[in-house]
Amino acid sequence: MLLAALFALVLQQPITSEAPSIMGALTQETVEIREDFAGTELVLYGATRGLTIQDEIVVVLRGPEQDLRVMRKTRSFGIWINGSAREFQAVPRYYAIASSRPLEEIANEAALVRNRIGLDHLLTRPGETPVAEMLEYRKAVERAGAREALYASAPRGVEVLDGGLFRATLALPPSTPVGNYTAEVYLFRDGRPVASRSTSLRVEKAGLERLIYEFAHGLPMVYGLFCVALAMLAGWAGAAIFARR
Amino acid sequence: MQIYLPIAELSVNIFLLLGLGAGVGFLSGMFGVGGGFLMTPLLIFIGVPPAVAVSTEANQIVASSASGALAHWRRRTLDPKMGLLLLAGGSAGSIFGVQLFTFLRGLGQIDLIISLCYVGFLGTIGGLMMYESARTIMRSRQPEARREGGMGTRKKRGWIDTLPFKMRFPRSGLYISVIPPIAIGFFVGTLAAIMGVGGGFVMVPAMIYILRMPTNVVVGTSLFQILFVTALTTFLQATQNQTVDIVLAMLLTVGGVIGAQFGARAGRHVKAEELRALLAAMVLAVCLKLGWDLVVTPSDMFEVLPVGMEGE
Repeated sequence: MLLAALFALVLQQPITSEAPSIMGALTQETVEIREDFAGTELVLYGATRGLTIQDEIVVVLRGPEQDLRVMRKTRSFGIWINGSAREFQAVPRYYAIASSRPLEEIANEAALVRNRIGLDHLLTRPGETPVAEMLEYRKAVERAGAREALYASAPRGVEVLDGGLFRATLALPPSTPVGNYTAEVYLFRDGRPVASRSTSLRVEKAGLERLIYEFAHGLPMVYGLFCVALAMLAGWAGAAIFARR
Repeated sequence: MQIYLPIAELSVNIFLLLGLGAGVGFLSGMFGVGGGFLMTPLLIFIGVPPAVAVSTEANQIVASSASGALAHWRRRTLDPKMGLLLLAGGSAGSIFGVQLFTFLRGLGQIDLIISLCYVGFLGTIGGLMMYESARTIMRSRQPEARREGGMGTRKKRGWIDTLPFKMRFPRSGLYISVIPPIAIGFFVGTLAAIMGVGGGFVMVPAMIYILRMPTNVVVGTSLFQILFVTALTTFLQATQNQTVDIVLAMLLTVGGVIGAQFGARAGRHVKAEELRALLAAMVLAVCLKLGWDLVVTPSDMFEVLPVGMEGE
């Protein structure tokens, strides 16, 4: 048995000597948010060349970015009010990470920070040393994202199949923001990424949702008048229908 | 059945929204109030962003006040001159309120201000109504008790009459200064923009006790003002903040129109004072819930807010 395994390893040797590479593809290139959208699941399929048994795979799906302000609640006159604030620039509104083993077993902290992989390193600028106080604010951002299932991590979410193929399932919750997403796949060897590739994904409103959203943002005045007119009509119609009874 | 709201960017059960509309509509039909003070907090509870809840509720109130205002117009139980003055003040108030709303949102304090406004107003109005109706109920149960001549004070004219720019209001039979109606209108318009309410619960008492308008034209005139002020608020919020969700507004309206009809029928079987006591209890309950949320230690000590949403 051991012999067979060793033999297989030796056989693989010539393959691993060529440069390792990885690639991934999502089952969908666009996700459409329609009237009945209540979240969806995406499957990322990938293939590697030169995968050895010590290698690990990490998959990251990152959404559009926005600036955040985090306010600490303080009690004054008996009520809780938003107090001191910290701002974070360009924070992904969606961030899902899946890996073939827990991240901390795959790579050391420094490598993860350098490549900005993992929820913990989402808000750290390269070369920045986090202050203890800042850490609390960062945790708050992570909690808020996790509450809406916009931030997720699956330590064993990457399933390695035969022949250097792998698969990961990523969930998009109902509150998924629209915008451009990037999916990144990394091949880790000895705690360092030796190959990576990224593909893009677009989440957009479609159908009636898109029509209304674009109407509201593109022609806000006409939209406002339309809303008022429709409401007046509805009120009048309601009264007319019930008055006849 | 889930429906995705395009502006609120939220997936909600369609029957929950219809049910909320019908429930609040029932109560508003029964008590003759707009129901905005119930609906806006409820929308926030189910996860609609406060900015969207307030603007969308203004849009729904347009629908619910339109039918009422129309009925009063036909019955001529509406003082158009007074209504226009209140509306002039209300429009200015609404414009001011929307600006204030945008400013406070930028500071990250809008949720707090909305809650504080609710607690303050609901507490005051609910308390006063409860006191009034309790007194009336007590009095009606003891028919022999002395009825003190409260009417006598009617004759005494207060500070209102010392104000300049007097005008005649034939429908209300009043000759008073234009300043108080404009001031009341302004105040209610500001509330409408910040709290997502029609403001009837403030305006009706103000018209009776401050302007001393005859009660038969009070409700109609108040609805007239509410209709146009909420229409303006909807328009301004849509243009400035893009926070009016027409799908949400329409679902609430459909539920509301139906609920209000049944509510109005149910209301006829309950005595006026008891109805008022019930309404007061409801107002106080909402007030307590919101007040409690302000005081109780939050589950998360931090609040995460997007920056520069207006700049998009």
